[in-house]
Amino acid sequence: MNIIVCVKQVLDPEIPPAKFKIDPETKQVIPPQGVPPVISVYDERALEAACRLKDKNKGKITVISMGSEKAADVIKHAISMGADDGFVLNDPAFENLDSFGIAHVLSKAIEKIGAYDLVLCGRQAADWGAGQVGSILAEILGIPVITLGCDIEAAGTNVRVKRIVNDGYEILEAPMPSLVTVSSEIGLPRLPAGMRLMMARKKVIPIWKAADIGAEPSQLDKGNAHTEITGLSVPVRKTECEIIGGAPGEAAVTLASKLANLI
Amino acid sequence: MDNYKGVLVCGEIVDGQLAPVTIELLGVGRKLADELGEELSILLMGSKSGSLGQEAIAYGADNVYTAEDSILDAYNSDAYTQAAAGLCKKVLPSIMLFGHTDIGCDLSPRLNGRLGGGLSMECSALSIDPATKMLVSTRPVFGGNALATMVSKSARPQMATMRAKIVPPAERNDARQGKVIPVEDKVDPSAIKVKVVDRIKEEVTGVKLEDAEVVVAGGRGMGNAQDFAKLRELADILGGAVGGTRVACDEGWAPATLQIGQSGKVVSPKIYIAVGLSGAMAHIAGCLGSKHIVAINKDKEANIFNVAHFGIVGDWKEVLPALTAKLKELKAG
Amino acid sequence: MSPVSATYWGIPGYAIFWVMFFVAIGLFAQRAYFLFRVMCLGKQENRFDNIGQRIKNMFVEVIPQRCTLKSVTRKDLAGLGHAFMFWGFSCFLIGYIIFIGLAEGLGLYPYLMGGTFETVYFSILDIAGLFVIIAIVWAAIRRYIVRPERLEMSLEAGVIMIMVFSLMVLHFIIEGFGLAASGETSGWPLLSTAIAGYLADTGISKDTLIAVSHVAWWLHYALILGFAVYIPRSKHLHVLASAFNVFFRPLGPKVVLEAIPMEALEALENGDESVSLGVSKIQDFKWKDLLDLYACAVCGRCHVNCPAHLSGKSLSPKDVIHNLKEHLLEVGPGLLAAPAEASSEGEVKSMIGDVVTEDEIWACTTCGACQEVCPVNIEHIRKIIQLRQNLVLVQNKMPESAQLMLRNMQTRGNPWAGAQSLRLRGDWTNDMGLKILGQCEENPSTLFWVGCTGALIDRNVLATLALTRVLKTAGVDFAVLGEAESCCGDPARRAGYEFQFQILAEENIETLKSYNIKEIITSCPHCYNTLKNEYPLYGADFKVVHYTELLADLIRQGRLKLTNEVNSVITYHDPCYLSRYNEVYMEPRRIMQNIPKAKIKEMERSKNTTFCCGGGGGHMWIEEQHGTTKINHVRMDEVIKTGVDTVVTSCPYCLQMLEEGIEQKGVKDSLKAKDLIEVVEAAMKQS
Repeated sequence: MNIIVCVKQVLDPEIPPAKFKIDPETKQVIPPQGVPPVISVYDERALEAACRLKDKNKGKITVISMGSEKAADVIKHAISMGADDGFVLNDPAFENLDSFGIAHVLSKAIEKIGAYDLVLCGRQAADWGAGQVGSILAEILGIPVITLGCDIEAAGTNVRVKRIVNDGYEILEAPMPSLVTVSSEIGLPRLPAGMRLMMARKKVIPIWKAADIGAEPSQLDKGNAHTEITGLSVPVRKTECEIIGGAPGEAAVTLASKLANLI
Repeated sequence: MDNYKGVLVCGEIVDGQLAPVTIELLGVGRKLADELGEELSILLMGSKSGSLGQEAIAYGADNVYTAEDSILDAYNSDAYTQAAAGLCKKVLPSIMLFGHTDIGCDLSPRLNGRLGGGLSMECSALSIDPATKMLVSTRPVFGGNALATMVSKSARPQMATMRAKIVPPAERNDARQGKVIPVEDKVDPSAIKVKVVDRIKEEVTGVKLEDAEVVVAGGRGMGNAQDFAKLRELADILGGAVGGTRVACDEGWAPATLQIGQSGKVVSPKIYIAVGLSGAMAHIAGCLGSKHIVAINKDKEANIFNVAHFGIVGDWKEVLPALTAKLKELKAG
Repeated sequence: MSPVSATYWGIPGYAIFWVMFFVAIGLFAQRAYFLFRVMCLGKQENRFDNIGQRIKNMFVEVIPQRCTLKSVTRKDLAGLGHAFMFWGFSCFLIGYIIFIGLAEGLGLYPYLMGGTFETVYFSILDIAGLFVIIAIVWAAIRRYIVRPERLEMSLEAGVIMIMVFSLMVLHFIIEGFGLAASGETSGWPLLSTAIAGYLADTGISKDTLIAVSHVAWWLHYALILGFAVYIPRSKHLHVLASAFNVFFRPLGPKVVLEAIPMEALEALENGDESVSLGVSKIQDFKWKDLLDLYACAVCGRCHVNCPAHLSGKSLSPKDVIHNLKEHLLEVGPGLLAAPAEASSEGEVKSMIGDVVTEDEIWACTTCGACQEVCPVNIEHIRKIIQLRQNLVLVQNKMPESAQLMLRNMQTRGNPWAGAQSLRLRGDWTNDMGLKILGQCEENPSTLFWVGCTGALIDRNVLATLALTRVLKTAGVDFAVLGEAESCCGDPARRAGYEFQFQILAEENIETLKSYNIKEIITSCPHCYNTLKNEYPLYGADFKVVHYTELLADLIRQGRLKLTNEVNSVITYHDPCYLSRYNEVYMEPRRIMQNIPKAKIKEMERSKNTTFCCGGGGGHMWIEEQHGTTKINHVRMDEVIKTGVDTVVTSCPYCLQMLEEGIEQKGVKDSLKAKDLIEVVEAAMKQS
């Protein structure tokens, strides 16, 4: 089975909220000093889904990441989890693209990689969280798409996906090649371990530029962007929290009375 | 771009009725349409859609498009995308609104991909820029740490999804007039590649998370599955539901359907009790709408105390038993 | 008349003697060879360096019986008993060689018997025999009537006691009856002649006396040979293996973990199964680990000193070693016969799970109490860590609480990342006016390595700040890494995540070398142990000190003056990684003794017998077994019993665990926990 996973390198979402800073002029987030970026949470789940598929069926996992040169780190992380190889898509023309632009670049990279059975993406990026790239990519590639998958299996020539819905779950099937976006309900990704961790460190990850994948300039033109960010702000959220004092037991009793009055 | 006019709500039908989020979207859609001086329409799919036409009009729709194809009775991604895209290409709405539900989250990006519009998901506010007449959507980014405003300068339709209970529902006026327009085109079954093999409703014992007046949520600080289960007792006494942070659900202490936060459910109960969770923004995003947020955490610097209304700085292991006991006592008396 | 030179039913005594001898030797050798071959199933390890030192260790442990005398306490005097038994029996052993082997067997009887030499030697044996008998009786009463926790009511122990007892009794029968027959009823050896005198008065005929003496002699001989055959087939195997175990014990750091070489990784990549990550089958252990299993005498000292066991966890180091030994002997024959086949299917028992459970593997805090007290120098800890390595690196199985921490180590390079930490790495340096490597004009060659906990956790940052102020006051020229500092890797290594540790170690050493660092001051004993004892394996060459060593020195030199009164009654909780792993426990005491007006009370379990706080071995993050007492609560009880108002320590984990203990035991109002540096700063004049 040939699986392609699209991953994104994002600012660490676990930095203390007080350290989160933005620049309202450039509408960018200022990364705090000394905190390395990480792989987006849902993309890591997509990778985990790919690794589980590879465990059960023989196959190859290729990972692509559009970002800065540092994105090689997430490719290496993917390899240490179980991916076979990967490519960084890095070009000045790829900066600040909207979902359509990103999907176009990814589709060109996928075209260059060649035949595949499954494309996996996270349901949304942990930073901007637009949540559309997967579906738009499927549209461009002309393949079926299933979103918010939390359990993926190969069933003959079909892919079978469990999807959590509001009041339970559904099981969907689509013929491969297809695309699935993965949500966090798949569970914890495996710990990169064993020799893969050491192997991945040694690997040199190739960088593909716009010319390498044949990205079309019209699709990368910022003027043609479908959505634009016109403003960025940090909401000030400070409630005066009333701390109930006393030993835990006493405080609990006070709290109980307060709650009883509110209900 | 100029031939795109009007607001179109992509409606959902739940148990034969208009979904609550759809009624809310009609409310906000009406406002947007009025500001633009254009019409508000709604697309309803499935064999029940015809019977809900009048109701939709009463809630503010000028046009109700009904696609009464039985293939559309249960949600199917390919079928709905086909049907909605077909209608959009005829009607050319300037703005399309969807609920941020599992249907909306699936349908809106697909439709966007097919139509080439501009989509903002999970919006917390929608307005029309008076100068440009464009839709301005405000949405949380970076796990809720920041708010971004987005516009689509030229791409049409402009699309947005909104969660339930963000905006008030539309006012009902049964005297309103409007048109019910059946959609002629049938869905082409051969184009449906994704098939629903099974649908399982999970029996929820007790109150549903989204409807509960009281929610008790636990996070990393609960430590393990057995301890997490202790929250059930507190929730039961208060007549509420139990939820978990992404960490708690990842660890398997609570099923994924009870995850509260950016990628889970958003709840706005009367009382939200956060036990042993630090208050990472991605989780807070799921409970900010609560009337009273109560925090129990042993770390006084935890972020949850920045959003809670009142709380106890202490180990839940000591607070919870005393709290539960006293509440039981008060309830009995 | 020598018993061997007589003839029995037409057969010469010599024939019987030597036939018995060779049969016994044969059985002994066969078993010993089998055990040797099974031990060699283990992996290669070089323990042959520094032979001179090793021989010296062996002699020091065995001859003066330091092995057991080191753990003699008022409550447990058994070590004395063992010493007497050993010395006594050794005299007999030499005696057997001389008087049975040479005199009887080789017919050198005339030269050795009947003279002063015989009298002197048998007088020694007289006394020795008495001591051995007393020791055996004491041992039997202790084991079967008093029943202390660390001893088992084992059948084997009883058999051995009866054997040794019988040997002594037979010795006195041989001597008593023999001397009575030859009329030597007074003089040395005193006890034997006394028995002889008694027998002479009974009027038993001379022939009978000789006959009884000879029968007793043959019985005695048979029993010695039987004992020799039995030793390698029982737990008394420790008699053979323990001396070797001392010889082969680690000469440097007490827990020897090797780096996983790149060749091993490449071999794994190519599908070479013989290279294993961690240990999942008994033959994955090193041969020295297997020798450890033979050396164990099931004395139970590790068992009653293990904090996990003492707080109710299912882990007992004694059981681990014993179960592994049984498992080794069970599967050993199969592995010797057909190594390739035996390792695949058909293995009834899975070592991890059936022999040692995962709960036991994860309950260990790596505190080292077991190794410290073990008379035969068994290395318990590295077995646990090697088992963890397999679970984490190969099977991806670890407690939930461990996984989150290890993921943080892997993604973010420190175990405290995420919601547990509200600070960034370099935040603590703000406004301190410190020299930050890479940002100052001239980089000092001394680095203060802060450690993750000291930089990221609020309570411990206070101690870090105190140390920087004290160092500055004492005029120490040092730099810090600030935000560029990353974890030393200790939590990853103790939890079995060896590769991540190796990656961090290599990166850190490169960073330190690039700044030309020569000396490192640490405040965390875990960083200290890792940087000092484990980094050299990866090319590090720095002098590493813990701040207590440095401060003790500065005080001695007069560069640090403690003049403020600190009116506290304090006790010092020795951190395991400082006191046991590295024997640094006098320096903190020297510092405390220089604090004016401070009264120091020692806990019973202190210095190298300190009791773990429960935070080591990854346990700051890994949850303790559900339903058991928390280890820090057990230690808190000991602290509270001293009645002090402050418990002082010099480790960030210990500080956290002690403070949590104080909180949970509800003694916040009467007891405080402090880092030693905070007390030192309080004793310094404010400038």
